[in-house]
Amino acid sequence: MDKKDRLCQETWAKSSSSGNELPKNISTEKPSFINFNFNSQQYEQKWEDTSIFGSRTNSSFQEFNPQSETQSLLPSNPNDHIKMADQENSQINETLQTNKIPDWDPRAMLNNLSFLEQKIHQLQDLVHLIVGRRGQVLGRPDELVTQQQQLVTADLTSIIVQLISTAGSLLPSVKHTLSATTTPVGQLGGILFPSGTGMNNSVQQQHSSGSKVSDQSNQMDVTGNCGTEQNYSIEEHEMKDEEDAEEGENLPPGSYEILQLEKEEILAPHTHFCTICGKGFKRDANLRMHMRGHGDEYKTPAALAKPNKEASSEPVLIKRYSCPFTGCKRNKDHKKFQPLKTILCVKNHYKRTHCDKSYTCSRCNTKKFSVIADLKTHEKHCGKDKWLCSCGTTFSRKDKLFGHIALFQGHTPAIPPDETKGPAGPSDKGDENEVANKVGSINYSFGSGGANGTGAQNVMDVKGGVDDPASYFSPLNFDTCNFG
Amino acid sequence: MSSESILSVLTEDLLVRINDKLNDELDRKTWRLVCKEFLRVESLARKTLRVLRVEYLSVLLRKYSNIDTLDLSVCPCIDDGMVSLLLSGESEGWALWKLKSLNLGRATGLKFSAMEMLIRACPFLERLDVSYCCGFGDREAAAISCAGGLRELKMDKCLGVSDVGLAKIAVRCGRLERLSLKWCMEISDLGIDLLCKKCPELKHLDVSYLKVTSESLRSIASLPKLEVLAMVACPLVDDFGLQFLENACPLLQEIDVSRCDCLSSSSLISVIRGHSGLRQISAAYCFSELSPAVLHYLKDLKNMSTIIINGACVSDTVFMTMSRYCRSLAEIGLSKCIGVTNMGIIQLVSGCINLKILSLICCHSITDAAISAIADSCRNLVCLKLESCNMITEKGVEQLGSHCSLLEELDVTDCSGINDRGLECLSRCSRLVCLKLGLCANISDKGLFYIASDCSKLHELDLYRTGIGDDGLAALSSGCKKLKKLNLSYCNNITDRGIKLLGYLEELSDVELRGLGKITSVGLTAFAAKCKTLADLDLKHCWNIDDKGFWALAYYSQNLRQINLSYCNISDMALCMMMGNLTRLQDAKLVLLKNVTVAGFELALRACCVRIKKVKLNASLRFMLTEEILGILHARGCIIRWD
Repeated sequence: MDKKDRLCQETWAKSSSSGNELPKNISTEKPSFINFNFNSQQYEQKWEDTSIFGSRTNSSFQEFNPQSETQSLLPSNPNDHIKMADQENSQINETLQTNKIPDWDPRAMLNNLSFLEQKIHQLQDLVHLIVGRRGQVLGRPDELVTQQQQLVTADLTSIIVQLISTAGSLLPSVKHTLSATTTPVGQLGGILFPSGTGMNNSVQQQHSSGSKVSDQSNQMDVTGNCGTEQNYSIEEHEMKDEEDAEEGENLPPGSYEILQLEKEEILAPHTHFCTICGKGFKRDANLRMHMRGHGDEYKTPAALAKPNKEASSEPVLIKRYSCPFTGCKRNKDHKKFQPLKTILCVKNHYKRTHCDKSYTCSRCNTKKFSVIADLKTHEKHCGKDKWLCSCGTTFSRKDKLFGHIALFQGHTPAIPPDETKGPAGPSDKGDENEVANKVGSINYSFGSGGANGTGAQNVMDVKGGVDDPASYFSPLNFDTCNFG
Repeated sequence: MSSESILSVLTEDLLVRINDKLNDELDRKTWRLVCKEFLRVESLARKTLRVLRVEYLSVLLRKYSNIDTLDLSVCPCIDDGMVSLLLSGESEGWALWKLKSLNLGRATGLKFSAMEMLIRACPFLERLDVSYCCGFGDREAAAISCAGGLRELKMDKCLGVSDVGLAKIAVRCGRLERLSLKWCMEISDLGIDLLCKKCPELKHLDVSYLKVTSESLRSIASLPKLEVLAMVACPLVDDFGLQFLENACPLLQEIDVSRCDCLSSSSLISVIRGHSGLRQISAAYCFSELSPAVLHYLKDLKNMSTIIINGACVSDTVFMTMSRYCRSLAEIGLSKCIGVTNMGIIQLVSGCINLKILSLICCHSITDAAISAIADSCRNLVCLKLESCNMITEKGVEQLGSHCSLLEELDVTDCSGINDRGLECLSRCSRLVCLKLGLCANISDKGLFYIASDCSKLHELDLYRTGIGDDGLAALSSGCKKLKKLNLSYCNNITDRGIKLLGYLEELSDVELRGLGKITSVGLTAFAAKCKTLADLDLKHCWNIDDKGFWALAYYSQNLRQINLSYCNISDMALCMMMGNLTRLQDAKLVLLKNVTVAGFELALRACCVRIKKVKLNASLRFMLTEEILGILHARGCIIRWD
């Protein structure tokens, strides 16, 4: 017993006094764990790498993870390259795994559970083994026992992590109930708890003071970072809207709190949003009722009656918003993250940039919008936007069109089709001819094609006109046929 | 035998050279009629063609395949159907293919699709005239813009053309050198600005009557090659606008700022200062007073030849400055100028001895002294306008007759001092082409006899409200064989005999016979039967002419283009006959025809609706005619004036 106790103490002392040992062991243990999971050589190698670095960088290991959040915000964080490489390695692993999780998938859940089952069986076998051996090997127990204990601890930890992550995949459906109690970041991060994450997390969970929540958000950041490279092109298409107006703001990172609403939350038809957790409500009264859950200060009759609650409260930390779309410039993990100012900005940004444009203008039947206000704005001007260039660009003002035409060679104003005068075919075709190729200008008998052109507005019709054999009368042809 | 020998001597190239010397259309006609060989040479050498009837257009184009200029401005029925017919023929197309100049003036029946076909059929087109196609809009302008090689474009009074249409032309016809946009009321500064950016080759630009502001002048100032700028009646342009021109457009030679109400005479200073090569300044009815300071700047203009300051307030010092500094002046317009005195004119002509054209219309205080000075100094005078200079007597005219032998145009309308003796003196001006004697109450057949006997070159004679009778017309018909235009309105002494004699004037085309109560169908029939060239006839208030006369017109006067039948005793039948039979008729004034019923008008308009371009009717008919006929007329581009 004494021995046992001592052994135990030693291990604890060791692990707590010298963190060196623990990660090393864990990492050496890792291959088996991963093997079990994926049976992949590559991963083994990678984890081998990690183990190598692990021993070296151990001193900074604990601060490394908490830093990763800021690191993702500020790429120029002065960390040594090894660490970066290390991080990248783990990133790849983690993204691969986490990517499978985000949405609740029963099959994935089943996989996870069966994996857990196997894992538990394995651990059970291991403990059986230890129990069986304990009697046999009594001579030099110190090292062996410590090793065994560490092995079991590691396996247990991974099982716990796995369990939590599995449960985490269910979170989106229950997050509304959670949101009221947990801190915003936790709520947001929790959903994407990666399965099979590195041991680092679980270890930290035990040894470092960093909360589980912050750990998970770290994981998030890592995935986000990785995704940035893949989805880089998305931000090119981003509409220029009012969110850009705040670009000059330039708040130093960390000076404001970042909130990230989920897709469902953004797309909900709410107009009143909780400034603390971001939950949306249809009525302000409901929001005020909700606010009571955030603390006693919101329970006062004044706060409940007056929607203007900011006036009395203490200076609040500036809040900025992040777009939940990974890789978006407005996502907090983007290298050049630009936060969104208000929840309305988030809503409009998300709809404009990442959603289908489902509102079609009833007048022109061509312009589509994802934000209904945009549609209404457009409808106000639709039809009045009559200044059209031959290149297809429309202008609301004549002088803008003429400025455009003055600037570009060969562009001419297009004449809108006149309902009363019948087909506008020939003249429009002429436009295209001019711009596309010079055949038209020397046509002999263009008319046969032009006369039956029915309101040739769209390009297809126009192309048809160009292809018309009549329009390919070149001067050369004509010469020869006349002079023989 | 003898004709053969002539042809054997005259080789083809000689014939062509002779043919080239024939400038007069009538001489050419005679030439054509000599023999087939001459006809062949003429048809080969012919470069220009002015078509009078659409029926012959195809034949003519086939015959004259070498033409480079085609004028369809007086040809009725230029419409979409005609164009497609024309383009379906190969040889007609060949003639069009080589066309460099095309005149489609008043082709109101043409729509953009046919217009484009026509333009595309003429790939080498350099000059195009679509003036007075009032219905033309941006689509037609777009069609025009298919002529990329266009250098000269006249689109006066294409009322529908806006900045958009102009932009089409400006962008695609970048080589434009001459452009007239008179009365294209929809065009604004934007269009002009774009034009000036896209057509840097512009030399002549006419923006008269446009609602453009000084901003347009800023754009126009960027044209490096501009020589002539006309901006008559642009009420929004002010002095500030003209200042843009001061150091711009270095080649500017002519500027017309007439009736620009917002300009002061000092604005001219900025234009003059910057352009020593200026040749012509027109500033009629523009500023109330012409300051001597402006004239002071004129001394730098060595090439200055024309100044028109009609309606301005002038003083003798102005004339003194002019005579001192502007010795090369060839034309001065002083119509309705206030302050024109004998002294001033004497001063002026003492310096400006090279004057060719002088207008003193309504300078009431001018007397024989001034006329004598003009006649004495300006021996090269070609055109003198003295309307309403009541103080002039036969003595002044005598001076003109004896000194100004080169005089071609003289306007002494309403100069009561002109009498038969004066006309006798004037007859010494044997080169007279145009003589206006309207309202000269003191002239008679005797005076006209002198004119008729000596002024054989007379083309135009105005005898409005004079005491001329049949004898005078007898003299005219034998002496002034070249007469084309004759105004005999309200010469109440004229009877059928006189009208009958007019038939001997073979070239007569424009005749005004308003208010001649003594002429009847007999005279008109005899006249119409003889005068084949009659194109424009005014019979307003000739109440003694009955249907027989109009039948005769309908039968004989196949070249009639314009007719005024207002207040005539014409019946339904005769009107329908006329309107249906006169296949060149394009303009008819049919006000207050008391014998014509609404049905008659309806039928008459239906009979002519394919070719009529302008018709004047009683306002009351507006709601009595069927919508259908009004719709047809409108669709054909016919303008109806409701009186």
